[in-house]
Amino acid sequence: MESQGIKMTQMPQMPQTKPAPALFKRNPPIAGEAEAIESAKNGDAEAFSKLYALHKRRVYTLCLRMLGNVSEAEDMTQEAFLHLFRKIGSFRGESAFSTWLHRLTVNLVLMHLRKKGLNLVSLEETINPSDEDTPKRDFGSRDIHLTGSVDRVALERAVALLPPGYRMVFVLHDVEGFEHNEIATMLECSTGNSKSQLHKARLKLRELLRQPEQPGPSGTQQSVQASGLKEVAV
Amino acid sequence: MTDIEFPDFDTMTPADFEKYLPEFFANGTGSVSTDPRLQTFLKNNPDCAALVRDLETIAEHAKSLFEPTYEPSDAVWSNIQSKLKQEHPNDDPPNSQAI
Repeated sequence: MESQGIKMTQMPQMPQTKPAPALFKRNPPIAGEAEAIESAKNGDAEAFSKLYALHKRRVYTLCLRMLGNVSEAEDMTQEAFLHLFRKIGSFRGESAFSTWLHRLTVNLVLMHLRKKGLNLVSLEETINPSDEDTPKRDFGSRDIHLTGSVDRVALERAVALLPPGYRMVFVLHDVEGFEHNEIATMLECSTGNSKSQLHKARLKLRELLRQPEQPGPSGTQQSVQASGLKEVAV
Repeated sequence: MTDIEFPDFDTMTPADFEKYLPEFFANGTGSVSTDPRLQTFLKNNPDCAALVRDLETIAEHAKSLFEPTYEPSDAVWSNIQSKLKQEHPNDDPPNSQAI
C-alpha cells in the first residue's frame, strides 16, 4: 500500500485506552488453591496432586496451542509441573498463581523451541510465514462479515492453522492476555514486531474463517481426533 | 502511540488506514481507538469499518479460548509422579487417586 501524497502529521492527542481489566484479570483465586500452594511449599505430596488437578488442563491447552503437537504438548506439560514443584518455594504471591504458572510454562515452551532450532530472536526473519500464508488484503469485500458467526470450534481450528509465528503471538496476546511488551521480552523481539505479528495473525484468521469448511485429513479437528486428544466440555 | 506519526485523518486513504491499523488497535483491548476522527473516517469508509468489525470480533472471541479445552493423558501425571519419586525417594509420592 502506498501513502504518497498523504500529509503526515504528528498524532496530537490520540486517546489512550488502558487494557480492559476483564481481559487481563482472568485468573481469579481458586478455592483451596492458596492452602495447596503453602502445603506444596512444605513438600506435601497431596498438595502437589491438587495443584496438578486444578491447573493441568489450562497448562496443557496452552502448550498444545503453542506447539500444535500432542506429544510435545504433553512433554512440556510434564516439564512445566516438574519445574513448578521444584520452584514453588520461589512463588511469592505477587501475581496470581496461574499467571505465574502460565509465564513459567510459556518460558519453558519457548526454551524448548529454541533448543529445537527455532530461532525466535527475529520473528520477522525466522518464522515469518511464506507468501502463501501471508494474509490477503481484501478488506474491500463487504459481502462476508464475521460478526456473530465465529464459533469457538471454528476459531480453535483456524488458530491451529496459523503459521507458528502468528499463532504464538496471537495465543499469548489475545488468548492468554499478555501485553506486547511482555511478549516482546519473552520472544526477544521488538514490541512493534509483536504488534505486527498479531495484526497479521488476526488478518489471517479472518481469511481462514471466511473460507468454507474444508473436510479432509488436513483439517485440525480430524488431526486432533486421530491423535486421541481428549477434549473436555467447558 | 504518541511518538508515532499518523496520517492526517482528513486526508487518510483506505491504504493509509490499513498501514496504520495495527497502531489503531494498539491499546490492547482488541478494539480500535475511540478517537472521534478515526470513528468519523470509519463512518465514511464502510469497507474499512467492516474490516475493523471483523478483527474486533476475532479478538473478542479469542477470549473464549482462554478456558481450557483439552486434557492431558493420564500418562503425564504418572510420569511426573515417577520423576518426583526419583528426585525425592524418601518422600511420599503424590496420590495418584487425587487426579
